[in-house]
Amino acid sequence: MILAIVLIIAAALSLVFVLSIAVSRSLVVSGDSGQPQLQPIDLAAFRNLVDPAETDYLRHRLSTHEFRTVQRERLRAMATYIQAAGRNAAILIQIGQPALSSNDPHTAEAGRQLIERALLLRRNAIFALCKIYVVLAWPTSGLGVAPVLNSYERLNGSAMLLGRLQNPAAPVRISATL
Amino acid sequence: MLQAHSFLWHYLWLAPGLLSLFFAVVLWLRGEHRKYPFFVVYLLFVPVEQFCLYIFDLSPRISAVAWWYAFWVGTIVEGMLKFAILSELLRHLLSPWPSIAKLVRNVVSGSGVFLVFLAAVVAAFAAPDNVYRVVASAHILSHTLYLIEAGLIISIFLAAALFRIPWERITFGISLGFAVTWCEHSAIWALVTEGIVRNRGWEDFVNMATYHLSVLIWYYYLLAPTKQKVLAIPARGQRPAIEPAGTIAAFSTRPGEEPKETLHDWNRILERLIHQ
Repeated sequence: MILAIVLIIAAALSLVFVLSIAVSRSLVVSGDSGQPQLQPIDLAAFRNLVDPAETDYLRHRLSTHEFRTVQRERLRAMATYIQAAGRNAAILIQIGQPALSSNDPHTAEAGRQLIERALLLRRNAIFALCKIYVVLAWPTSGLGVAPVLNSYERLNGSAMLLGRLQNPAAPVRISATL
Repeated sequence: MLQAHSFLWHYLWLAPGLLSLFFAVVLWLRGEHRKYPFFVVYLLFVPVEQFCLYIFDLSPRISAVAWWYAFWVGTIVEGMLKFAILSELLRHLLSPWPSIAKLVRNVVSGSGVFLVFLAAVVAAFAAPDNVYRVVASAHILSHTLYLIEAGLIISIFLAAALFRIPWERITFGISLGFAVTWCEHSAIWALVTEGIVRNRGWEDFVNMATYHLSVLIWYYYLLAPTKQKVLAIPARGQRPAIEPAGTIAAFSTRPGEEPKETLHDWNRILERLIHQ
């Protein structure tokens, strides 16, 4: 009886989830959801945060207790950056989708590459976030976020290419945003 | 109204099958049968199965036990086709995106293993109808199959939502139709196998009506014209609606101001990042 009730609730929630996806998808397609906005990210500041030399410097300059506190703050900041990068990647996927059905093969290919790299970035961002949240418990241990940076770089290139094909006057803006 | 052999009962049993058959023809004419061969086979198989069961149900020469054996055979064949369709849908969703294809396939396969164990537990704890063994086992078989199928399609939707994987319109429509039917069927069969609802009649109407709805969903996603919104990449100097928040440092390009970093500078910074 309890098992049946649990399964029925799970089925109902799943149904609501699937229908909400269908509704949100139709809103995006019909253009009722508004223009999505990319969130600016300062890559130089992010690079500084994930710099192992910077971490080593702090480790040697600060006491263990102080280092833990500072490192936790840095990890939280990293998580905020990565979340923003993941959201930007999601928006770029949305931007790239109409390009897939473009008659111009260059635009279609640029759209495909943009989406492929944005998906890779979302995957890396999810893994990196999981790792950051684990490392938050032991801030003195190391952290590798190189895959996110690599993905971000490639995504940046794809966004520039698609931007150049869609609007030759605007490619720099997207690279600065990213 | 909600009784066996009422007009609604006849309609809900026969109409979705006829619509499925017609839908298979439309898919064939549009050449989509090459992309979705298992789905087309399913659309052809279901009407045949349902018409046979319908005739067996009405015929006085076919016993109730024989009807349930026919139901058994149909459920098993239909179940195999549905697993093949799931694989087909996953392939269509992931094949253009190799960067995440393996991960999502592993996630869905892992979910499948978990769901098989869950289905085994559900079957073990079921409260079967003891009047006819074949009836009870058919109920359990349907419940476990729908549980696994619903779980798998939901895991595909979850993965697609998490990574924001773009759906092709038809693939999305087929998946949505199946998700609606399988979630509802899974819930109804849970009620039946646990003995909470049995032989009331309305549960069959709900199942048939939901399948009918799924067929209409497939029609909508295949035949309704698409309005694709073209999103533009923001023009240079355009102020972003969302300002940097929290620990995110200030954006280097302000409205009306040339970007401080040129493309060359950005690429140099990023190359350094890659080779760290």
